[in-house]
Amino acid sequence: MANSTHSDESPMPLEKLQRFMPNWLKRFLPSGGGRAHDHHGKSMFGFTVFLLSESIVFLSFFVTYIALRLTSPQWLPPGVKGPDLSTAVIINSVVLVSSSFVIQAAEGALKRRQMKKFRWLWFTTSAMGVFFLVGEVKEWLGLDFGLSTGQVGGTFYLLTGFHGLHVFTGILLQIIMLVRSFIPGNYNKGDFGVSASTLFWHFVDVIWVILFSLVYLWRA
Amino acid sequence: MRKILNSLLLAAFIAVILFASRWVGQQAYSWMPPQATAEAKQVDEIFSFLASIGTFIFLGITGIITYSILTCRAPKGDWSHGHPARGSAKLEILWTVVPTILVLWLSVKSFNIYEQINIQGLTPVVHLHMEEPANAAVTSNDSKPVGEVIEVFAKQWAWSFRYAGNVSTTELHLVVNEPVSLALHAQDVLHGFYVPEFRLKQDIVPNRTITINLKPNRLGKYRLHDSQFSGTYFALMEANVYVESRQAYNQWLAVAASRQPTIASNQASAEHTQPKTIFNSRWHTFEPAEPSVVNYSA
Amino acid sequence: MTNNSREGIARAGESENSQSSQTGWREYLSFSTDHKVIGIQYMVTTFIFFLIGGLLAMIIRGELITPQSDVVDRPLYNGLFTMHGTIMIFLWIIPFNAGLANYLIPLMIGARDMAFPVLNAIAFWMIPPGGLLLLSSFLLRDGTAQAGWWSYPPISIQNPSGHLLNGEFFWIVSLVIIGISSIMGGVNFITTIFWMRAPGMTFFRMPIFVWAVLSSQLLQLFCLPSLTGALILLFFDLTLGTHFFNPTQNGSPILYQHLFWFYSHPAVYVMVLPVFGIFSEILPAFSRNPLFGYRSVAIATIGLAVISSLVWAHHMFASATPGWMRVLFMFTSMLAAVPTGIKEFAWTATVWRGRLHLLTPMLFALGGAVMFLFAGITGVMLGSTPFDLHVNNTYFVVGHFHYVVYNTITMGIFAGIYFWFPKITGRMYAEGWGKIHFWLTFIGANLTFFPMHPLGLQGMLRRVSSYAPEYQWWNVVASLGSFLLGMSTLPFIANIVGSLLRGPKASDNPWHATGLEWKTSSPPPKENFAEIPVVTEPPYHYNDSEDFRPEAATQE
Ligand code: HEA
Ligand code: HEA
Ligand code: CUA
Ligand SMILES: [Cu+2]
Repeated sequence: MANSTHSDESPMPLEKLQRFMPNWLKRFLPSGGGRAHDHHGKSMFGFTVFLLSESIVFLSFFVTYIALRLTSPQWLPPGVKGPDLSTAVIINSVVLVSSSFVIQAAEGALKRRQMKKFRWLWFTTSAMGVFFLVGEVKEWLGLDFGLSTGQVGGTFYLLTGFHGLHVFTGILLQIIMLVRSFIPGNYNKGDFGVSASTLFWHFVDVIWVILFSLVYLWRA
Repeated sequence: MRKILNSLLLAAFIAVILFASRWVGQQAYSWMPPQATAEAKQVDEIFSFLASIGTFIFLGITGIITYSILTCRAPKGDWSHGHPARGSAKLEILWTVVPTILVLWLSVKSFNIYEQINIQGLTPVVHLHMEEPANAAVTSNDSKPVGEVIEVFAKQWAWSFRYAGNVSTTELHLVVNEPVSLALHAQDVLHGFYVPEFRLKQDIVPNRTITINLKPNRLGKYRLHDSQFSGTYFALMEANVYVESRQAYNQWLAVAASRQPTIASNQASAEHTQPKTIFNSRWHTFEPAEPSVVNYSA
Repeated sequence: MTNNSREGIARAGESENSQSSQTGWREYLSFSTDHKVIGIQYMVTTFIFFLIGGLLAMIIRGELITPQSDVVDRPLYNGLFTMHGTIMIFLWIIPFNAGLANYLIPLMIGARDMAFPVLNAIAFWMIPPGGLLLLSSFLLRDGTAQAGWWSYPPISIQNPSGHLLNGEFFWIVSLVIIGISSIMGGVNFITTIFWMRAPGMTFFRMPIFVWAVLSSQLLQLFCLPSLTGALILLFFDLTLGTHFFNPTQNGSPILYQHLFWFYSHPAVYVMVLPVFGIFSEILPAFSRNPLFGYRSVAIATIGLAVISSLVWAHHMFASATPGWMRVLFMFTSMLAAVPTGIKEFAWTATVWRGRLHLLTPMLFALGGAVMFLFAGITGVMLGSTPFDLHVNNTYFVVGHFHYVVYNTITMGIFAGIYFWFPKITGRMYAEGWGKIHFWLTFIGANLTFFPMHPLGLQGMLRRVSSYAPEYQWWNVVASLGSFLLGMSTLPFIANIVGSLLRGPKASDNPWHATGLEWKTSSPPPKENFAEIPVVTEPPYHYNDSEDFRPEAATQE
C-alpha cells in the first residue's frame, strides 16, 4: 500500500498557498479552521457569496437579451426608435457610477471614525442614487415603446427594472445605516452593515456599466 | 497455494462476467422494435456495445461487493477494525485512467456512429445562428441529393402531411429504400417527430423549419408519435406511417390527389367532446386546434 | 484553544438554557434558530411532502395499469405528473438534504451552530408556505400547472384557464420562493464550512459528507439563479404580455431550455452528492475500514460539481440543438462517469476485506450504491447522442432517473436516517423492522423501475395516460411494484415513530464511528460541544489498532 500512514496534509497545501495571496483573497480562505470568532470576515464572506449568486440572475438576463437580439430578424418594430442614448441617460449614468467613489470615501471616513464626514458623504451617495432612479422613471415615461413591444420592450424594461429594484434596495440599506449611525455605540461590534452596503452599491454600479453598454451602446 | 487459488478465482470471475456481458450485448438487439431505417441498425449497434460494457462494469463491481458481503462479516458486537489501508496511489490512478479511456472510447464510437447517421441523412440543425431569419424555409444545406421533400405539420393535437403537387393527407407514406427529407413545421407549441422503428427523434419548433433526412428500408405499417409533450391530448397525437414500394406509393398518391379536400377527423377532438374516465376533474383545457382539411384521411 | 473563551462570552447571552439538552416539541413549531431544530423541521416537513408526492405517483401508476385513459382525465393526469416531479425534487430531496446537512454540518466540523442562525430559520420558514402554495393550486377551478416539471414554453404559457391566477402562476411563484430559500441556505452552508471549522479541522480532514454539501451548495449558489431568472422571464410571458419565449414573436423557447437545464442538470448532483456523502460515512463505519482513497474522493466530489455544470444540453439532444453542441455535450456528459467511478471504486475497496456489519443503515447504503451503478450506466447510455435520439422522452429516461432519485437517493436518505437516528433522538430504532423496510423497498423499487427500461427501448413515451396495448405487461409489473413500494414506507414510519417514543436509549456512539458528531452526547446539547474540540487526526480513523484509538470507541 502506497500510503497507509495517515497523511492529513492536503495535496493542495491551501495553508501554504495563503502566504502568497493578496490580503483580500486571504480573507476568504480560512483553511486551517478555528476562525469562527471572526464575525466581520464571516459576514462579509457570506454577503460576497450572495452577491456572486445574485449576479448569475443578471447574467441569465444578459444572456437572454444577447440571444434574443442576435436571433431577432428585426430588433426594432417599425416606428420604434428604441432606447435612446440621450444626454439625460449619460448624466444619469455618470452620477450613478461616480457615487461608487463617494460611498468608498464614506466608508473610509467611518474607518477613521470621522462621523460627520461619513454621514455627509453617505447621504450624498443616497441622493445620487435617488437622482438616478428619478431620471430612470422619467426616461421610462418618455419612451415610445411598452413592455410588450417586440423583444426590445420586454428586455429593456426587464433589465432596467430589475437593476432599478437593486438601486432602490441599495438606497434603503443606506438609509437604514445612516439612521443607525446615530445610535450610540452602534459600531462597537464592527461596521459590517456599512461595508456590506458599500459592496452592494459597487455591485449595482458594475451591473449598470454592463447593462449600459448592452442596451445603449450596442447599436444595430 | 492460496495466491494461485485466488488468481484462478479472479480469472474465473472475469471470464464469467465477460461471457455474461457478451451475451447481454447480443440480447440487446432483441429489446428494440424492428429496424425500419438504415440509421436504426447503427443505433442498435451502439446500444449493444454500451449494454455489454455496462454489464461488465455492473457485474464486476456488484460481484466484488457481493463477495465481500458473503465472506467478510464481523461477528455481532465485534467492532474491531478491518484493514488499515487508507488508499493506494496506484489503484486510484488506475481507476481514474481506465474509465477515462473507456468513456473516451465510448464517445468516439458514438460520435462516429452519429457522423455515419449524418452521412445517411440526419441533418444536424445547422442554422441555429443569427444570420438566418427564423422563418426561412428548409434549412438543409448539403449538396448531396436528399430525395423527395415531404412537409410535416404538427399542431395541437394532429399531424398532417403535404406531398409534391400539394396533396395533403393525415397519413405518412414513404417509399422503401429511397432517401426522403421531412420538413417539420409546428403551429402552436413544441412537438416531436418519433417513429420507434426509425430510431430517430426530432423536436419541432414553431416558426422554424427543421429538416431530417432518412431512408426507410423495411416495408410495413408503423406509428408516428408526438414525442415532445404538447399538452392535454398529447398521447393521442399519432399518425400511421406506411413504408411501401414505389408503385404502391405512386398509386396511393394518385388516389389521394384525385380526392376532394375534406375535414379530417381526429382523436383529440373526439375525446374532448366525450371524456370517459372514472374521475373527472372538470379542469378547463385548451380546445384542440381546428381539424386539418386534407385530400386523404384514413 | 485560544478562541474558545471568546466564543463562550459572545454567545452566553443568546442561550440562557444551554445546559438543558432536551428540546420541547413546541420548539419544533417555533422560529427556532438552533441548527438542530431547524434540521429536524426540514426533515419532517419534507418527508410529508414525500408522502404527498408518492401518493400522486400511486395515482399515476393506477392510471397506467390499463392502456386506456380510464382513471383520471387527461388534464388531471398532466397535473399529477407535473406536481409529482416538482414536489419530489423541490420539496422532498433538495430540502431534505438541506435539513440533514443543517443538522450534521456544524456537528461534523465542530461548530456551535451555522454561521447565520437567523438566516437559517428564515430559509426554512419559506419552505412550508412555498409548498402549500404549490399544493393549493389543486383547489383552483382549472387546476394545477400541467406543463411537466420542466414547464417548457410555449405550452406552459398557453394558460388554458384564461384566469390571472392559474396553476402555472402558482407553480412559478412557489418555485421562486423555494429557490430563494435555497440561495439563503447556500450562503449559509458555504460560509459555515469556510469559517466555522474547529481548530485543526483543515479542508482535508473534513468528512466526505461535508465536502459533498460544500460542492452541492456551490452548485445551488451558481446554477440555481439561472432557473430563477428563467422563471421570472416565464412569469412575465405568462402574465405581463412579454414574448421572451414565444416563438411566433421571435421569442426563443430553446433559450428557456438552456436556462432551465443549466440549473436542472446540476440540480441532479445537488440531490445526489450529499447522498454520496452519506454512503461515504456509513460504508467505512460498518466495514470498520477507513474510506479508501479519501483524498481522491474529496477531489472527485468537487470535480463532479464542476463537470455537472458543463453537461446541461444532454437533455436537449432532440431539441433544435445543432450538431456541434450534441457532440460536445456528449463528451462532457460521459466524462461525468470518471469522478463518479472514483467514488464507486472507493466504496468497493472500502468494503473489500472489511469486517462488515450488515445493519439497516449499511443495507440501505450498499443497496443504494449498487443501484446507482445501474442508474449511472443507463445515464452514460443516454449520454450517447445517437442512442438518446431513440429513447429521449421515453420511459427509458424515466427508468434511468428513478433509479437515481428513488433507488439511490431516497434509499440513501433512509440509510442516513437510520444511521444518525440514535444521535438525533438519543434512542435506537428497531433493527428487525429496519431490515423488513429495506427488503420491501429494495424489491419494490426494482419491480417498479426496472420495467421502465424495456418499455422505453420499445418506444413507450412518457407523460401519456394511454398507450399501445403491447406495452401493458411491463406496466402492470411496474404498477404492482409501486404499490408494494408504497406499502414499504409503512414499516418505516411505524419504526421511527415507535422508536422515538419508546426505543431503548442509545449510547453516544452506538456504531463506534469516527467523526466529531459522535464525540458529543446523543442527542447533542444545545450548543453541540461542551468545549470546542481540537482536531488532530485524519478523518475515518478506523485503521490504527493499538497506538491511536478513536476516543469514542475507548469510552465504552
Ligand atoms: C438525480 C440524480 C441523477 C444523476 C446522478 C444522474 C446521472 C447521470 N445522468 Fe441523468 N437524469 C436525471 C437524474 C440524474 N442523472 C434526471 C432526473 C433526468 C431526467 C429529467 C427529465 O427529463 O425529467 C436525467 C436524464 C438524463 C439524460 C437525458 C435523457 C433524455 O431526456 O433524453 C441524460 C443524457 O445524457 C443523462 C445522463 C446522465 C449521466 C451520463 C449521468 C452520470 O453522472 C452517471 C455517472 C455514473 C456512472 C457511469 C456509474 C459509476 C461509474 C463507474 C463505475 C466508472 C466506469 C463506468 C463507465 C466507463 C461507463 N441523464
Ligand atoms: C425526485 C424524486 C422522485 C421520486 C422519489 C419519485 C418517486 C416515484 N415516481 Fe416519479 N418522477 C419524478 C421524480 C421522482 N419520482 C420526476 C421528476 C418525474 C417527471 C415528471 C415530469 O415528467 O414532468 C417523475 C415521473 C414519474 C412517472 C412518469 C409519469 C409520466 O411520464 O407519465 C412515473 C410513472 O410511473 C413515476 C412513478 C414514481 C413512483 C411509483 C415513485 C415511488 O417511488 C413513490 C413511492 C412513495 C410512496 C408511494 C409514498 C408513500 C406511501 C403512501 C403515501 C401511502 C399510500 C400508499 C399506497 C396507497 C400504496 N414518476
Ligand atoms: Cu403534438 Cu407535441
Ligand atoms: Cu442531466
